[in-house]
Amino acid sequence: MMIPAVVAVLAFAIVPLVGMFGIAVSDYHMLRGSKGEFGLHNFAKMLTDFRFTDSIYVMAVLSIVGVIVQVVTGTFIAIGLHRIIPKWKYARGLFLLPYAVPGVAVALIWLSLFTPTLSPINAVFDLFGVTVPAFLTTRNGALFAITVADTWTTYPFVMLIILAALQGISQDLDEAAALDGATQIQTFFYITLPLLVPALIMVSLFRFIELLKHFPLIFIMTSGGPGRSTQVTNYYAYVQTFQNENVAYGASIAVFLFLIAAVISLYVARHTARIDHA
Amino acid sequence: MRDHSMSYTLKRGLGVTGISLFLLFALFPIIWVLILSVRPSTALFDPIWENLGDWSLENFGSLIRSNFPLGILNSFITAGGATLISMVVGIPAGFALAKSRFAGKFIASWLLLLLRMAPPVGFVIPLFLFYLQVGFIDSYPGLIFAYMTLTLPLVVWLMWNSFAQLPNELIEAAIMDGASLRNTLLLVALPAAKPGVIAAFILGFLLAWNDFFFALVITRQDTATATVAVMNFISYDSVDWGAIGLASIVLTLPILPFMVIANKYIVRSISGAVKG
Repeated sequence: MMIPAVVAVLAFAIVPLVGMFGIAVSDYHMLRGSKGEFGLHNFAKMLTDFRFTDSIYVMAVLSIVGVIVQVVTGTFIAIGLHRIIPKWKYARGLFLLPYAVPGVAVALIWLSLFTPTLSPINAVFDLFGVTVPAFLTTRNGALFAITVADTWTTYPFVMLIILAALQGISQDLDEAAALDGATQIQTFFYITLPLLVPALIMVSLFRFIELLKHFPLIFIMTSGGPGRSTQVTNYYAYVQTFQNENVAYGASIAVFLFLIAAVISLYVARHTARIDHA
Repeated sequence: MRDHSMSYTLKRGLGVTGISLFLLFALFPIIWVLILSVRPSTALFDPIWENLGDWSLENFGSLIRSNFPLGILNSFITAGGATLISMVVGIPAGFALAKSRFAGKFIASWLLLLLRMAPPVGFVIPLFLFYLQVGFIDSYPGLIFAYMTLTLPLVVWLMWNSFAQLPNELIEAAIMDGASLRNTLLLVALPAAKPGVIAAFILGFLLAWNDFFFALVITRQDTATATVAVMNFISYDSVDWGAIGLASIVLTLPILPFMVIANKYIVRSISGAVKG
């Protein structure tokens, strides 16, 4: 019973992987089929495809800015819950609510909030005679809108992990520092923050790797637009495969993303506490 | 030893204000969508504070007349099916990985992590071509099988972690007493790892329930899940915002109790990584 289960899991995992690599080195096209050429031509094509290189740039911008904003927001709220309002019992649950909303619903809610004719935000600013720009129609505005929506639903993940890390830090350290005359701000930067670094690195990597998969928010809020300005690499792989019918090329872009995930997950696996106590 | 001087009060006031602003950021989209879902369509584009007392159930009507209820049913069938099968296969696999000695444990743990992390677009392409051949497009088995590429690595990983925390003596004692490996798993290890089993089921179900990508590619009319069915409220010439608001709430409600139970397990499922 044990060995067949392990074999089943492996087969389940390996078969689609082999399929992905196999299609990536083929020339399969949904409509034209295959002429039977195998090789690295798709990867050579990626190097000269400016739509691909642009998509990496968009992915890098959304990921780096996104991870920074999400980690800072989540950490700030975790520290707030831990230090400022530890007695507000229900605050933690309320802060977690956005995490429970499925990605599609997140995208639809923020699409409505970024639709100028509908949004209550625009209505409030209109009262003061300020016209809120239509974010989704400009390049930077669309990137901003996606980052806001993504941050809204992912800061609770950061918050949970950092909160757990904060609770693992001994209160004695803070008190010892206070006795030695450290101010609260000094205590935070010289004691608490260095102790949070491992958790911050791990949570950033987890967020970064999730952002390789950026899809529903982009599909629903911008469809990669305006133009191609929010078309991340994952979305570009989808477009090539299922809209341009260029299956082999789409698979090779997927391989590229897979290799990034492989490197990051290797780092995570090596720095994970060994799970076998045997 | 905090002094309750002016500067302390000021700092605390700033802190409370800051965290309250973040609470506003967290909650106002939820309040907005609650209002949106009962707003009469005639008042939809008026400022939100006008006609706030008017509310209507018309969105419930348009939701029920659409294919969204079928989508919810499909989501339950496919997410539930994929998670259940993953548990049946993943529990013994996790047990074997945790309690047997073999070379390549590190490779196995890396592979499981990688399968959880790699973008699904790579898996969906071979599946899609295969499904075209065998007629699995827009079928329950097709979608359940696709979801298992998400849920199975997660379940195996979580169960591996849970079983690894059980003392080896517990397992060895059962085997010494003459229990078969199967009975040791079912009667000794599984009850002892019950919180891990619950966590694996919930986290697996959430992952499949929240999926959009697989359902978008693999389903058409009959098996479209709720996350895809909701897109029918958006057409080229109009968007049914009220129905979208209500559908967003309906999408979230079934998993809300799960989230309440699961939030401590979410920490635990990666806290091994943080301790390292």
